This record gives sequence, C-alpha cells and structure tokens, in this order.
Amino acid sequence: MTDPITSPFTMVGDPTAAVCDGDFCEIPDHHEQAIINRRLDEDAV
Amino acid sequence: MVYVSNAIKVDIWSDVQCPWCYIGKRKFETAVAGFDGEVDVEYHSFELAPDTPVDFDGSPKDYLAQRKGISPDQVDQMLERVTGIAASVGLEYDYDHVHQTNTVKAHELIHYAKSKGRQLDMTERLLKAYFVDGRHVGRIEDLADLAAEIGLDRAEVVQVLTANTYLADVKADVAQAAEYGISGVPFFVFDEKYGVSGAQDPATFANVLAQVASEKAGAGQESTK
Repeated sequence: MTDPITSPFTMVGDPTAAVCDGDFCEIPDHHEQAIINRRLDEDAV
Repeated sequence: MVYVSNAIKVDIWSDVQCPWCYIGKRKFETAVAGFDGEVDVEYHSFELAPDTPVDFDGSPKDYLAQRKGISPDQVDQMLERVTGIAASVGLEYDYDHVHQTNTVKAHELIHYAKSKGRQLDMTERLLKAYFVDGRHVGRIEDLADLAAEIGLDRAEVVQVLTANTYLADVKADVAQAAEYGISGVPFFVFDEKYGVSGAQDPATFANVLAQVASEKAGAGQESTK
C-alpha cells in the first residue's frame, strides 16, 4: 500500500472549482447554475 | 548585498487542450490586471491525455464518446455548457472545429518559447489556436506555423521539435506535478506556498495575490530591523 500524496501547499479557494482531471473535464454544479442564471438574465432582456 | 525581488512568482500547471485552463487563465489575468504589484508567471507542462494519437481522427465529441462511453447528446450538452462559461470570460470556443490531439509537442514548443523569453505569448497563441481558431496543435508543421505567427524562428522550431530537444523539460514538469500531488489542472502555485486548483473566480486569485504581497511586505520590514 502506498501513502497518499499530500500537497505541500496551503490550498485556498473553492475546492469544487472546475478542473480537468485525467482526460475528463468536469463541470461543477454551481457553474451549471451560473449558466442557467445567465440564460434567465438574457431571456429577461 | 542580496537582491530580493518583490515580484510574486506564480507557477501554473496547464494543458493546451484543457478548457478550464484557458478559462482559468482569463480569470487569473483579470485578478493580475487589478493587482498593484509585479507578478512573474511561469507555465508548466501537464499532459491530460498523453496516450492520444497526434492524428486522432475526430473531435473532442468523438473522443469523449469513444473513450468515455458518453452519449453524443450528453457530450453536446457538456460542450455547450463549457462554451457558455468560456463566453462569459470573453472566449469564443468553437468545438465544431477543434482537433483533438496529443499535446506533448505543443508543450515542447512552450518550453522552446520560454528559452526565447516568449513563453506567455506562445501559451496564449496555442490555447487560442486550439479552442477558438480550430488549428491543429499536435503536428510539428502546424506548431511551427503558430510559432512563426508570434515571431519565433519557424525553421528552428521544426528542428527542436523534431529532435525532441525540450521533451525532457516537459517530462520534468509532469514529474514535478506528480510529486506535488497535482492531479488536475489548471493548478496555480503562489510563491511556492499557496496552491489554487481550478478555474477559480478572479476574486480568489486577487485575494491570494494580496495575501502574498502582504506577507512579503511584512518579511521585508522584518529584515530591515
């Protein structure tokens, strides 16, 4: 069994921010909500 | 007398075909533009899909469908959402014309550009070429064209990419990322102390810059006592 790698850095910011991990790029839920909100704003205009 | 730079060093691990890296780059740049201080940025190589063939016959949509078993409809929805987020930071992603490829040569080119003092320009040109312009960023001849567009020596680029001159530098960056436990990109390291993962909002980057600047100012005052 290998020990998990721990970051040598003090991590800051939103831990759910969008990243590409491996060959797949996830879209966090709050980003989807932001898009929905933007579309609602556009529709309102 | 020892010269101590007041510039904040930011090391960024990124891949050329990472949509969040380009979006995160724009958000980071927004924070830097509003920061009253010097920031020294250095990009590092990260290969998201090193097993992808240079001449992969298809788009990201085909790649995700083939490699991940995601239905074309789901892929369409994902790419549409990413395109929308990119647009919100002023980037016009054009997934209909993106060429999925292997990015190791693009990373070698970024290292070559760094040796010429043009790393930031080359990084921006490659990201735009891939996501916006529908250009191929895996083949040596295409990469040489892109390098020439920012004023680098096309023939020399062909020579160094053919000879794998900067391959060891790419692999060293990838190895260092693994050593740091970096599994996803973009990943930002501020002054070798603070880590920021992902396409964060500009306010997050701004806060880290302010924090590091404050610590540097404090350290400077201590050293003069």
